[in-house]
Amino acid sequence: MIFLARRLVFYFAAFVLAITFNFLIPRLMPGSPSDRIIASFQGRLSESQVAAIRRSYGFDGNLWEQYITYVQSVFRLDFGISTVQFPEPTAALLFYGAQWTLVLVGLAIFLAFFIGSFMGIHAAWNRGGFFDSFFTPINVMMNAFTPAIVALLLFYAFSLQLKWFPLGRAHDPNLMQNWFDLKFVGSVLYHATLPVLSILLVSFGGWHLGMRNVMINLLNEDFVVLARAKGLSENRIKYRYVARNAILPQITSLALSIGFMLGGALVVEQVFNYPGLGKFTFTAIGARDYSFIQGQLLLLTCSVLVANLVSDIANVMLDPRLRGR
Amino acid sequence: MSDLTHTQPFALRAESASEFASRAPDHVELMRELGVRPRPGWTSRLPPGLASFVTNGKGMAGVVILLVLVLMSAFAPLLSDYNPNRRAGKPHVQPGYEHVLGTTRLGKDVFTQLVYGGRVSLGVGLGAGAFAAVIGLALGISAGYFGGRVDDIITFFVNVVLVLPGLPLIIVIATMVEAASPMVIGLVLALTGWGWSARTIRTQTLSLRTREFVTSAELLGERKWRIILVEIFPNMLSFFVGGLVLGTIAAILAEAALEFIGLGDPNAVTWGTMLFWAQNNLALQSGAWWEVWPPCIAIMLTGAALVLINFAVDEITNPQLKASRKIGRIKRFLTRRGRGADVF
Amino acid sequence: MSSDRALLEVRNLTVDYVGDNSIARAVDGIDFDIREGEAFGLAGESGCGKSTVAFALARLTRLPGLVSGGEVRLDGQDVLKFDKARLKAYRWREVSFVFQSAMNALNPVIPISEQLIDVMETHEPGLSKEEARKRAIDLFDLVGIPPARLDEFAHQFSGGMRQRICIAIALALKPRLIIMDEPTTALDVVVQRDIIEQIVELKNRLGFSVLFITHDLGLMIEFCDRIGVMYSGELVEVAPSGSILTNPQHPYTRALGNSFPPLTGPRVRLEGISGTPPRLTDLPPGCRFAPRCPHAMPICHTQAPELRFYPQHQSEAACHLLN
Repeated sequence: MIFLARRLVFYFAAFVLAITFNFLIPRLMPGSPSDRIIASFQGRLSESQVAAIRRSYGFDGNLWEQYITYVQSVFRLDFGISTVQFPEPTAALLFYGAQWTLVLVGLAIFLAFFIGSFMGIHAAWNRGGFFDSFFTPINVMMNAFTPAIVALLLFYAFSLQLKWFPLGRAHDPNLMQNWFDLKFVGSVLYHATLPVLSILLVSFGGWHLGMRNVMINLLNEDFVVLARAKGLSENRIKYRYVARNAILPQITSLALSIGFMLGGALVVEQVFNYPGLGKFTFTAIGARDYSFIQGQLLLLTCSVLVANLVSDIANVMLDPRLRGR
Repeated sequence: MSDLTHTQPFALRAESASEFASRAPDHVELMRELGVRPRPGWTSRLPPGLASFVTNGKGMAGVVILLVLVLMSAFAPLLSDYNPNRRAGKPHVQPGYEHVLGTTRLGKDVFTQLVYGGRVSLGVGLGAGAFAAVIGLALGISAGYFGGRVDDIITFFVNVVLVLPGLPLIIVIATMVEAASPMVIGLVLALTGWGWSARTIRTQTLSLRTREFVTSAELLGERKWRIILVEIFPNMLSFFVGGLVLGTIAAILAEAALEFIGLGDPNAVTWGTMLFWAQNNLALQSGAWWEVWPPCIAIMLTGAALVLINFAVDEITNPQLKASRKIGRIKRFLTRRGRGADVF
Repeated sequence: MSSDRALLEVRNLTVDYVGDNSIARAVDGIDFDIREGEAFGLAGESGCGKSTVAFALARLTRLPGLVSGGEVRLDGQDVLKFDKARLKAYRWREVSFVFQSAMNALNPVIPISEQLIDVMETHEPGLSKEEARKRAIDLFDLVGIPPARLDEFAHQFSGGMRQRICIAIALALKPRLIIMDEPTTALDVVVQRDIIEQIVELKNRLGFSVLFITHDLGLMIEFCDRIGVMYSGELVEVAPSGSILTNPQHPYTRALGNSFPPLTGPRVRLEGISGTPPRLTDLPPGCRFAPRCPHAMPICHTQAPELRFYPQHQSEAACHLLN
């Protein structure tokens, strides 16, 4: 429990740091967002209008006052008003986009982790064999093909040329959003196939290699040799004695990889015109919608922190050595 | 091969009491059957780590690919007469004699852009990777060697850097500086990409910290920075190279991704901005595949080359991985003799 | 206690370590028997190949090791040629293993009870859960650990208790031979004594044979019936433990004995052995001990001596001085 408590303290500190970072970045950069807007009116604004713009961006008062206002607004989930879709609050847009990104990243991580880990187990068990010598390098190399390229390739082949998959959207626009409607869920999966595949193809190699290398080191541990000496069945040694232990560091990496996966989703959504956070961020970048861009960073940071907390809890449940601490 | 006794430490022994027992092949026979070759003579002057790198097929294949890419970029002006920033022909000319890889929608020569773009993309990637690896090395060794409060503070920041999502953070920073030049992107990537290597090197330093040669150097009153430089750093070299390679992959991919989504300076010629323009000009939709695939393939080749190098480095830092390569021959050796071939 | 019937006959056993650019012969064609009910000890400096022998007998040689030649016969059959099914029956029913480090030998994330019961379930498919658990409790009783702790994890036990658990696991199927690879080296002296006494007591009660490996010659003489001395991958002497120190035949055995304090009697000056063993990739042509041997003759540097039986001493030794 002390272990989890310490981790909680760390995550809180990291959260505070992230907020502070987020607060400081626009204030340290030359030309704050509000200054840019004011400048774009080329001096046609009155004093009070300038003050109002500054206030609405949280740039009035001294730095400390600004910081307090900022932290308060974060905890109220108030990220300001979107300039792209003008009257909409940024928070609403963020959460709308986040649900679709969650669909993509959730599916991709789940599949990549399981496919990659199983391949890694197989490769380590038959290390030096054909599967290991051939697919391990290939899979890991795919890791170095950025999601953007794989997405372009898939988009070109399956959406443009073969027309098997749609050219955009997260679901059939004629269907109402209803997660209990199988037809709707089917449409969501259909639209998500290629984007998920793009992220999946560039990330499962990492799990493959990670699992393989951890497994190979474990195969030389005394407790695995003892299991072999005991005459246990191959599957029991493989899964219960080796993979069971090898999965622990993988869970930690899983949580840490979510940030990377989210980055990949950002790009993939752009290619597939998928209405997730990345697509909105892209629009926001074009329109210099600072409240949205900052909001997405905060949202993503929080989700990574939560994922890490979940992985810590999973590790405590799976590793008896952590329980007593 | 002149010194036979040297390469033949065990020769055939006289028949022992158990003449019927199956005898093991002698040294030369065994070397041949298991495909073990003595270290090539020309590597004898190299340090063992480097020697096993240069004799590693995967690693050297990666080096060759990378070298070709680097040389093509370095000698870009010799390879093409066009200016990468200027119109060189009609828009969307198909690949042919005039334009090896065709032209873009704005009539720029794709091959020229590719080789000039490599200068920036590879430069920024290698630079950011190296910078990140150096930060990781410095912080990792400091944390592991000094321990105590220094370790606590550094570990905290390592964990923060690991936890913060890199690309979204870079997006925020890149947006704030308007069109981010490749230099800025590289700098930001370096400053956010040192987490992994710092963590690995810290762990390695911790295990080295208590070894005899470090302890004895301390007892002899060596200065701390000297111990770090002379005793610890050489042992971290392969981990440092590993961090460098992984950091470079990450930087090249992230730079391409950032520029692809339009955060870079659109006037800079890099593989990422080439992709950005291709996507913006709907090159794929209008059938101009030659505008899209060359930068894609260049990025993929670079990534693949670095991954191959990383495989070789992994086998040096983790001998277990290398031993695995022998398993097939060992299994066949046992099978041929009717023995159980369950090798672990 | 021990009969003259051999349980395990080791003939010409050869183990190589396959490196990247070289091969090292860690065990070079050794011959010995382990008799029924006997405790056989393997002694020698670290790196002489004694653990390698132990792992080879149990068919547990790990990469990059390779048993490249020889036979290990049990009831007339070659263990090294066992197929999967026969090997499974050989493992643990006939030969079990106790490792040097009990901490590493127990899986840290699986409860001890499971590690004790799975071996019974594997080899006795009809066994009911209750019966298996009852036997696990009995085994805990046997090695003196409260059965209430059966479901705990390895890290919750002290070092000595962990080694007892490993012994309990080794006894689970009442094997004919238990290989003990430095079972007490990682423990402090008091615990060490406890464990050895317990092993002696269990051995007397259950009648299994033991292959005992340690670099502690004193402990070995106390516990074992016969001792084999290894040097640089070869067996240089095999003798009853009673006479190995009092009447050593091989100069290396004598030197090894001189570097240990006698258990009783006056204090004597300890003599170490000067020099170091040769590297396995660069062995001398004749007797491997010759470069360090105080009595080396010219023949020792050119021709390797064979292990021969000398009836007058009831021992085997490989040394030109004896001819």
